[in-house]
Formats: sequence, C-alpha cells, structure tokens
Amino acid sequence: MGKTAYINDQLFEIQDGETILSFVRRHIGKDIVPTLCDAPNLDPFGACRVCSVDVALVKDGPAKAQASCHTPVIGGSFIYTDSERIKRLRKNIIELVLTDHPLDCLTCEVNNNCELQTVAAKVGIRDVRYPAGKNHLDKKKDLSHPYMTSDFSKCINCGRCVRACDEVQGEMVLSMAGRGFDSHIVKSFNDNFFESDCVSCGACAQACPTSAISDVFESKSIVADKKVRTICTYCGVGCNLDVAVVDGKVKSIQAPFDAEVNQGHTCLKGRYAFSFYNHVDRLTTPLIRKNGKLEPVSWDEAYDFIADKLTSIKATYGPDSISGISSARCTNEENYLMQKFFRAVIGTNNIDSCARVCHSPTAMGMQRAFGTGAATNSVIDLNYTDAIMIIGANPTDAHPVTGAKLKQFAMKGKTTIVIDPRRTEIARYATHHLQLKPGTNVALLNMMLFYIASSGLEDKKFIESRTEGYDDFKKQILSIDIDQMEKITGVDRNLVKDAAMSYAKAPNAMSYHGLGVTEHSQGSYTVMLISDLAMITGNIGRRGVGVNPLRGQNNVQGAADMGCQPHQGAGYLNSYDPEINKLYESFYGRKIPIGKGLKIPEMYDASIAGNLKAMWLMGEDLVQTDPNTTVVIAAMKNLELLVVQEIFMTETCHYANVILPAATFFEKSGTFTNGERRIQRVQKVVEPIAGTKSDGDIMVDILNKMGYPQAPYDPDTMLQEISKIVPFFAGVTWQNLAENGKQWPVLPDGTDTEILHIDTFKRGLGKFHYFDWKESEELVKNGKQYPYIVTTNRELEHYNAGTMTRRTGNVDILTEDVIMIHPQDAATHFIEEGDMVCVESPRGKVDIKAKITDEVKQGVLSTTFHFPDLTLNMITSSERDSEAMCPEYKIVAVNIRKSKGKYKEKV
Amino acid sequence: MSKNLSDLARRKGLEKNLFEELGKAAVQTGTPELDEMAKLCDEFLVGKSTVYGTVSFYDFLRPENKGKKVYVCNGSACLTAGTQTELKTKLRSKFSAQEVGEMCCLGRCHENSAFHVNGTNYSGSDIDSIDSICKKDHHTKELYHVGSIGTPILTIAQPPVEEYYKIYEKVIATDPLVCLAELKDSGLRGRGGAGFSMAFKLESCRNVEDDMKFIVCNADEGDPGAYSDRYVMEQRPHALLMGMMIAGYITGASVGVVYIRGEYPESVTIISDAIKLLHDKKFLGNNILGTNFNFDFKVIKAQGAYICGEETALLSSIEGQRPEVRVRPPYPTQKGLFNKPTVVNNVETLANLPFIMQNGGKKYASIGTAKSTGTKLISLDGHFNRPGIYEADMGTSLRVIIDELGGGFRHPIKAMHIGGPLGGLVPLAKIDSLTVDFDSFAKEGFLLGHASVVCIPEDYPLIDYIEHLFRFTSHESCGKCFPCRLGSTRGYEMIDKARNTDYKMDRQLMDDLLETLETGSLCALGGGLPLPIKNALKYFDSELAPYFKK
Repeated sequence: MGKTAYINDQLFEIQDGETILSFVRRHIGKDIVPTLCDAPNLDPFGACRVCSVDVALVKDGPAKAQASCHTPVIGGSFIYTDSERIKRLRKNIIELVLTDHPLDCLTCEVNNNCELQTVAAKVGIRDVRYPAGKNHLDKKKDLSHPYMTSDFSKCINCGRCVRACDEVQGEMVLSMAGRGFDSHIVKSFNDNFFESDCVSCGACAQACPTSAISDVFESKSIVADKKVRTICTYCGVGCNLDVAVVDGKVKSIQAPFDAEVNQGHTCLKGRYAFSFYNHVDRLTTPLIRKNGKLEPVSWDEAYDFIADKLTSIKATYGPDSISGISSARCTNEENYLMQKFFRAVIGTNNIDSCARVCHSPTAMGMQRAFGTGAATNSVIDLNYTDAIMIIGANPTDAHPVTGAKLKQFAMKGKTTIVIDPRRTEIARYATHHLQLKPGTNVALLNMMLFYIASSGLEDKKFIESRTEGYDDFKKQILSIDIDQMEKITGVDRNLVKDAAMSYAKAPNAMSYHGLGVTEHSQGSYTVMLISDLAMITGNIGRRGVGVNPLRGQNNVQGAADMGCQPHQGAGYLNSYDPEINKLYESFYGRKIPIGKGLKIPEMYDASIAGNLKAMWLMGEDLVQTDPNTTVVIAAMKNLELLVVQEIFMTETCHYANVILPAATFFEKSGTFTNGERRIQRVQKVVEPIAGTKSDGDIMVDILNKMGYPQAPYDPDTMLQEISKIVPFFAGVTWQNLAENGKQWPVLPDGTDTEILHIDTFKRGLGKFHYFDWKESEELVKNGKQYPYIVTTNRELEHYNAGTMTRRTGNVDILTEDVIMIHPQDAATHFIEEGDMVCVESPRGKVDIKAKITDEVKQGVLSTTFHFPDLTLNMITSSERDSEAMCPEYKIVAVNIRKSKGKYKEKV
Repeated sequence: MSKNLSDLARRKGLEKNLFEELGKAAVQTGTPELDEMAKLCDEFLVGKSTVYGTVSFYDFLRPENKGKKVYVCNGSACLTAGTQTELKTKLRSKFSAQEVGEMCCLGRCHENSAFHVNGTNYSGSDIDSIDSICKKDHHTKELYHVGSIGTPILTIAQPPVEEYYKIYEKVIATDPLVCLAELKDSGLRGRGGAGFSMAFKLESCRNVEDDMKFIVCNADEGDPGAYSDRYVMEQRPHALLMGMMIAGYITGASVGVVYIRGEYPESVTIISDAIKLLHDKKFLGNNILGTNFNFDFKVIKAQGAYICGEETALLSSIEGQRPEVRVRPPYPTQKGLFNKPTVVNNVETLANLPFIMQNGGKKYASIGTAKSTGTKLISLDGHFNRPGIYEADMGTSLRVIIDELGGGFRHPIKAMHIGGPLGGLVPLAKIDSLTVDFDSFAKEGFLLGHASVVCIPEDYPLIDYIEHLFRFTSHESCGKCFPCRLGSTRGYEMIDKARNTDYKMDRQLMDDLLETLETGSLCALGGGLPLPIKNALKYFDSELAPYFKK
C-alpha cells in the first residue's frame, strides 16, 4: 500500500499528486464536498472556497480549513469534510453569494439543474441576513447571437466560462473585467456575443453552473423526455453528443464529459447546427422525373422504376455501364450495403465514395509507405508528443475540437510547424510557419528531408531495422537543388532548416495533414514524403508520434474501410485479386466482378464518352462540390439514369431522374469511424420525418427488390455481417462498442488498437519513396495568362457546400463566401474591402466579395464554397492527383479584376 | 490565472511586454484606446477580453482613470492625520472634480498632505506651492528621519559602488552552494509579511532544473503607512540590486525583475539609474567579470493595484494578465513568472543579502532573536515627534522604538495600526508587551507585517477606521475568491449603514463574516482583514458597542 490519509477518520490510499477533492470523490463519492468553481475539464481555480475541508496533521490536532480543489493530500493527514466549522463556512459563503443573485429559481431556465441551487439547498440556507447593498441584478440579458445567450445577473463569478474559453477552446473571448465586487464577465471589448470574437463553441455555456451563460436551446434545462448519445456528423473528429429530445424533436445538444474523443467539448456545428434536420426544405417523398419535371411518387413506384431501369441498362450495356458513389456522411453499414449492392447485385466495381475527392491520396500514399491508409496514432497522443507538424490543414476551422487541442499545444510554445500558404489561426501561434506557394508541398518536404538526411539526424536504427529503400532515397534527396527549391517554395531555406531540425530533434513528433496535402496533383506523393519524414526520424509506432490525416467527413475513414472504392472491397482486400475474389464470392454468395472499376473522375469521362449510362448517388452533391462544374453537369446530363438519395434538393438533384428522400443522422442508427479509426455508435435520436427512409433502409429495399435477400437494416446484425469479412472489424459488436467505441483493428476478443505499426508495419518494412517536385499542369498550361492562384479553404461555421449548415442559425453568423486578397494585389487592381471581384480561370468566372488581408501572400487568393450561388467550381480545374485521382481544388490559375455591371452588387 | 497566457507572455519575453505597453498606451489620456488595445491583442496573441480585463483592473489604466491629472493620497496615515480634506479643497482651485483621482498610498506617511501630479509625489507643505508645481518649477524637499538602534545594516552609509560591489565580486567567485549555506546560517526570513525562510525559497528554486529562472523583487509596497522599501530603493538601491544579483547567482537565475509600484515614481527612476550604473561598471550582462554568471535587470512600473503585492498576483501582472491571486501549488519556485521557476522576495529581504555575504550568516544570525534574526526597518508616521525610517535589531522593545527613536507621540493617540492594513490594531496598553519580531507580535495576537506604524489619534472614531479598512479591502480585492469579493463589500456596507443611519449591526453576522473571511479567503487580503477588526472589537468594545444591536 502506498501513501494513505484519513477521510472522516477512515483510512484510504492516495494517488500520486492528487488533490483532496479528487481523493474524497474517488473514495467517498462525487457529491460529498460541494463545489461551484470546479469543473471536470478545467484546472483547479480556488475561487468559491465552498469545497473547503478541515485538515489536521495529527488526530484531534489543530485543523486548518483548506480548499480541497487545489490542495494536495498530505500523507497521514486527517481530512474532515463536514466539521461544524466547515459547514458554517460553506453556509456563510453561499449566503454572501445570494446577496447578489436573483431569487427567481422557479422561473429560471436551469431550475433543478443549477449548481448554485443544489449547493444552497445542501448547505441549508434559510435567509440572507445582510442589508440590501450593491448588486448586479440589473444586468441586461444578451440575446444578440443566434445561439449564445447571457444573463449576467445570474453570474456568480466562478470563472468557469473564462477558463473554458481559454483552457478548452483557446479563444480568450471571455474574461473577468473590473476588480473586487465590480468584477464581471466581458466578451472581447465588452461587446455582446454577436459582435465579440466568439466562435460559438458553447464551452462556456456548458461550463456555467447557473444560467448566466446559456444558449437559445436552453440546453441546461432539465426539460427533456430523453437524452440520446450519438456521434456528430460534421467532421472526422467524431464528437460524442448528448441529444435532448422533447416531444419527439431535438431540443438541444451537449457534449458528454466522459467522451474519450471530445471530453465535454464540441463546436458550433456539433452543438448548435442541428435545426437542418426538420427544416421545411427536407425532401419528404420520392420523386421521379416525368416529362422533365420531378413528380412525387410512392416508394414502390420509385423502386420499380429504378429496378427496371437498372436491369435494362445492365442487359443492354453491361454492368460496367452503371456506377455508384456512396457517402462518407453515411454510416459504415450503409456504405457497406451500397458497395455490396454494386458488386453483388449490379456486378461492377464501379463504386467509389467522396473519399476520392478528399483523402484518397492519403489512403494511397500511406498504404504504399506503411501498408495501412489510416491515422497511425490517436488524438490523445497529443498529450505525449514534443512537436507537431501541421501541413495543409486548418484544424481550428475544419476540425474544431481537434483544432482546439492543437491550438492548446501551440499556445504553450511547444514546437509547432505549420506548412500552409495561409497564415491560419494555428499558424499565428506556431513556432514555425512555412508559408509556401500553393502546389509546392513536395519541394518543401524535400528540403526538410534534405536537411535531416544531410545533418546526420536520421534515426539510423529505425531506418535499418524497420524500413527499406533508404539508400536510394538518400542518394536522391541529397541531390536536390536547394537554391531552386527555395525559389519554388518561396520559403527562406533557413526557416525550412530550422523547422526540419526541430522536427528531427524532438523526442516524439507527430504530423497532421489535411486537404492542403491531398487535393493536389502531387497529393499522394506528398503523403508519402510526410511518411518519409516520420520514418527518417523514427517517429512511428509509439505514443506521441505518427502520421495523422485529419479526415474531413465524419465517416470518410469508414466509407473506404467498407469497400466503397473500386480497387478494394470491404476491408481493403484487393478486388482485382482472383484469390480475394473467390473469398468475396463465397461470402456474398454471388458472382463478384474482378474487372477494374471507375473512380469518380473517370465516371465523368465515361459518361461524357457515352460508356456510363446510370449513376446512383448516396447523398453526394457532385454538381456543387466537384471541380469544373461544366464537365460535371455534362456528365450528369449524358446519363440515362441518375438516382440520388438526398435530404435536400441539391444542385445535383436538378439532373436526377429519381430522388429518394433520405433520413438524417439523427433519424438512424449505425456506426461512424472517425479519423483515429474509432468505430462509434450512431444512435437514432428521433424517428425519421414522415416520408423519408434511412439510406440503410433504402439500400436494403433495393437489394431485396433486385433479388438479393438482405435482412432489414439494423446496425447490430449489419455489424455481425461486416465483422465476418472486414478483418479489422473482427471483434466489433454493437454491444461492445459501448459509449466510447473501439479503434480498429479490433481483435476477435474485442481488444482495440490506439497505435498502429508498433513492432512491424502492415506491409512488413516501411518503404521510403522519393519524388521530384513537378509544377501543376494547371500552372504550366495557364499560369502565364492567369498569374494568380486561387486556393480553396473552409470556414468554421459552414460544412462543405453548406447544405446542412446553411439551414441552421450558422448562416446568421457567417453569411457569405469571400475571397482573401493581399493588400498589394488589391491595390494593383484598385480593389477595396467588400468590393465584388471577378475571378476568371480558363474554365469560367465567378464574382466574389473581397476581403483584404495579409493572411495570404501576394499572388495567392483563398476562398470558400459554402454558398452555392457562388458556384466556385465553375473555375476549378480537372487536374487531379496522378495516383489517386483526387481533384486539385487547391490550385486554380486565375486573373482578377473589379466586377463590372450587374456583378458589382452581390446577388 | 491562465497557463496559456503565461506561456504566451514568455514567448514575447520581458523586453517588450504587454503590461508595459498598456501602461504606455495609457499615458496620453489615462487609459488605452480600443484600437491601441486591438493592435496589442494581435501582437501578443491574446484575446481582446484578456487585454480589456487587464486594463479594467488597474487604477491607472481603467477607463475611469481617463482625464485624471492629480491624485490625492487616501492611505491610512494621511487619513488619520486628517490632512486630506483641506488638501482636496486646495487642489480643487486648480483642478476640476473629474481631474482629481486617488492613490493609496504615496509613502509620504511621515508628513502627510500627500498628492501626485505629473509623475511626481508631493507632501507636507508642497500644496502651498501648487501653482509652481503645475508650472513644473517646484522641487519637493522630502525629509524624514533615518536612524537605528543596534546593528545598522540597511541604514548604514553605503560605500562607493566599486567598493560596495567587492562583496558581489567575491560571491560570484564562490560556489553558489557555499553562499546558500551562509544564507541558511543567517536565518533570514522574508520581510514582506509572511516571514518565510529565504534560504528555503532560494534552495527550492535552485533545485528545479530549468534554463530560465527569475528573481523578482516585490517592490509593490502597498501597505498604507509603510515606506521602508521606498527608503531602501531610493537611499540604498545597491543593497537591493546586489541582493537580487546574489539571489540570481545562488538559484541559477539570470534575470531580475524589479516590480515597483506606480505610486513611487522616484523609486523607479533611482533604481533604473542604479542599474545603468551597474552596466557601466560591467557588473551586469553575460560572463560577468569573466565568470560564467549572466545577469540583467528589468524594471517594471506598476499601475495601481494593492493586490500586486501578493506574489502570484504580481507575477500575473508582469505577464499582462489580470493580477488575480493564483492557487498553490504550484509555488512560484516551481512555476512562477512565465511558468518558470521564480523567487519572489520583498525589497528589504533582498537588501540584507550583501551584508550576509560580506559578514557571514552566523554574524547576521547573532543580531536579533533566535527565530527572528537580523534587523527590521520600521516606518513611523506623522503622529510621532520624529517620524521616519528606523532600523532596530529584531527583539527591540516597541517602547524603545516609540519613545527613543520616534520621540513619542505628538498628540494623544489610542492605538497603533502596525504592519499595514492587515496588521493588528495595537492599543497603547499593549506597547510594553511587544518586541519588534515575528513571534512577539504573533503571540500577542498581532502581526509584525511590514512594521509600519500608523497612529489612531484619541479623537479619531474607531468606526471610521474600521470602515476605512473594509473599504480599502473591498476596493483592492482582486475579486477572485468569493469570501473577499463579497464579504469585504458587505462588511463595508454594513458599517457604513451603521455609521450613517440608525441601522445596528448584528454581532453574530459580523462574527460570521469575519470567520468566513479569515478561514475562507484565498489570500492574505481577505484572510487578514479580520485581524485588525477583531482587535478593534476586542480592545475598543465600548466605543463600538453603540453600532451593534444590543
């Protein structure tokens, strides 16, 4: 037995460094010692003092009152949690608090869920003896914001909101101001929520023990019929959400503190942007285009129509004239069913998913380097690393919860290397920001690798024992022309060298990358170079290291895991391999195709060439989101059959023959796999709105309709089937996923895996690859005539094409797309802040409002495409990654000028 | 306190720091403009609220300070001297009501009538020259007695710098552990109030491995009535500076920060000039005198907040954070300034180091008492016949101080408030039971504190004085812990009501309030206020009884 101490004369064991509060809570219970300023995800603060306990060093010796939240337990001490003096102290403190707090509990939104109320009841307050004095009761409510609310007459100055804003989100929008009795919470420069720099994450509202800060959904009110835990659908972080339901409708959302992924935190999309789900725009009936017009039909009619059409197209043109694109927004089970339908029923490998347009190069590159196309480590590894490299990712906007953790890391001044053409939020805090010219990732990484290889900082032991191809690689990397690379990247070689040295010298270094890596013509190469960096420094296979793609969509990992790509079936087994083919055939009980399938960009080519006749899209808005819209539309128009499963009438729906109204994630169950390979349970929160079906139900219906007997959609039975064919799902069951899910590979006994490649790589030895930098064809062909580069980015408030977020209060926070222009470039073209700018590429032109900022370098422009009327993809190109065919969204050669005529005004 | 803000402040360092930049931005109008603050947020990577929260904390930065041109001292000594009403009237002939602010206190307790104009302090009869002061052609002639009884350490004349710093030259040629051993032998305890062993502090900082450490001098002598630190800074600056350099040498710190209260502009100038001189003499910088020792100073002028005398609040202040008291652990010696190991000591404590290094710890320990070694500086206010700064061996009887050094009282007094606003209220009857040392005061239920003495004249109502103490605490409370933030204000309101209306206080409620403050407060401000109040209630029961319910 280690050190011990007494609680109310009973002996208990102490954990190293623990506070009295945690010691008491661990042994006696959570509610023994009352607290007000303490919160599960915040550092001890010591403000309220109601957690005080008596501590004596000898039995019956003199006791000292100590605030238990920040005082460490002393071995052998005697702790008294409820001495008369302590009881008096707590009561007297609460009496003081109540001298400045409205006594309107019954009409307060947090009645019966208010920590002050609970503690007041517990200490037995009967009356307030002080004469009336100064108070804050006349503070006005702040209702300026679409989500956040405050009523500081209810504030007890516990500072939890301030600390949540600082320690959790890292935003510092909230602070105490004034001093003494006058101390009060302010937002930014004493603004209201709307005018402040608030990012609406809601951490403060969740942290507040009263209703001083809350939200318009009154998420702390106890009025809820039930609470259901599910997984957010907005990004690859995979936040757990506690969804409160009233009268069959979503009332509000909070983030559970016991969630391993998000520890009580989430962002404004996860917490507040849910009202899309019952928006009036929802599709509620199947539609078939009759005489050019979409007409409501019954499900049966729709299924009959589709089945007939598919059967006849297949009979006439063969199965490879049909293709499908699944959705990384849908569940694993739904994705699995869709690829099964295409392979086992249609008989084609023409199945792809939107992973193609985001992280296909990651899967490709990491598979070639390591054998597995998935994050090698987990988000928790951030707690164990010494250095991070973030390349081509803007996590504070696109992956806000992981972004907040990365920002916390960077704020501490720890080695943070950001490689990005933009000075992103995380770049502001980075120790190294390498602001390269877009399209030069390969050149820049080569420079870093050059400096590491030439300075003897390689991890020779790791290279020797765990990798292959290093000698050739080294020869090539040492022969690069640094002068030339410096010119190409536009980054001072000394900055690059410093960053490379910091990464190499860190005992443990992690890398994170996003679409700024993959959405390039050399995307897969860049991923392999990032893998080289990890291997050359031995940063693979333990805590705090690895290569960690930041997955864009909530289930982009799962879509690929489930086989929604032509070359690999469920479980990444090679669908072109005869042996594997036999396995699939016996498993599915049908003839399974072995011929090459089409990737998304190839589908467009095939359609335009007249070889592809039918397409089935599960929740994919190709027209809005895929590059070079003109080509996409031509491809859609050329099809005989376009089936779209959707929740809203998207741009693509305008070209559909059949539209099937699908259900949102609130309305179905299944699993999502997040960016750290964590399979988590999506649980139905509310019933699908009338007329809609889950994508899983739709797939099951069509499988049965077309003669393949498939049991009704149910995640439990689906997982039983999937776990038999996907090797790394072997031990997954609906039950054992429990609250926090499991990270694959999951062994048959249910053991999961936080870290990959510990002893050996999936492919045996890790493979070094060298690649020369090559200018994007877009710039080679068009760079002279169109000298500016547009690169695309994301804003926090909106998700991708905004189909969902534009149907929530988020649209009141961020109302439009803008294009960032460097002040010099703006001056050259006489463009002023807020002017409409005509951006013209070889493919077309769009008009966007200017935001003048030095976040981008001269010659570089950056914009979003969250609002469909912008139709940004009119100007993007058909260039794609040479290996994985991921479109090059990040490089568009353009020219700019002030908009003319009617385009001068925003539509 | 925010770890993130500490880390972000570390990145920017001391040379150009947020706190000073805010001070500069306030020079023009008395408070920084929003656009100026926005620029600083961007530069220092902090939130707008961070800067707003900091600015709104300090008397001389907050928006209410806008347009203030003259400040009247409202410290305890000027208050009980009763000079300030007349002073204000005289000032109002030159300044509008909006232009007159308050400061607490200017350390002119020996002659009172203290005020501050254009970065200079004035007192005594200076007000009669207000016209020439406004024209900037009046030079204040501050005079106070300096004397000692026993072994003079801090009041002895300082030799020329070259000669004095022979001590330092010897120290940096000696093993730091030997120096530390001398310090241990000396038994030196902190003079800031808590009486903590200095050697222990230095040793624990020394034992933390880090390539960045700090020696911070707490020169935020905020206790009304105390001006002994000001005396050291202005009259014996090199004792302090050398003390810090020695502390740096012992702990492995290479930066000393002197955090001087804004109410002492002369101290800031004198210390800064002394540092310049040390640079000229090559006693600072890298590889000092050919050794491996590096040391340099940063002087920071504070902006008006008593709580910055609390060491963790002081550290947050330097970092540009709101100076709210931090929880311990971690202690500053583990994670102090910028989350790095830091020793924070008071001026007088540090100023003792040269003597100890020169004469040995044992010699120092032979002065004073066994548990309170060395000497103590005592500040006597204007109620004494010979007001001034006196140095006495620890253990000297209080009677000797009052009569022999101070020359007795100018007029009848009934109590002395010794050791600052949180010190005990000593009735005359207790004088002969007290000797000037930590233990004697503690034993009798008082506090040596900073050993400042503010007299309460016979005819000065005690109820006014305890109201002043509550008001002082409620004005200076950082607002972080509930007992102090709420309790100091409620206490002030109760007394104010009892003093001005027929409201009678409930003794039980007062006792509950005092107990709550004493046992519940996070720091010594809220925790210390009850001592003088309880003394008053005990020794002046009959005078205060009418204000309570029967």
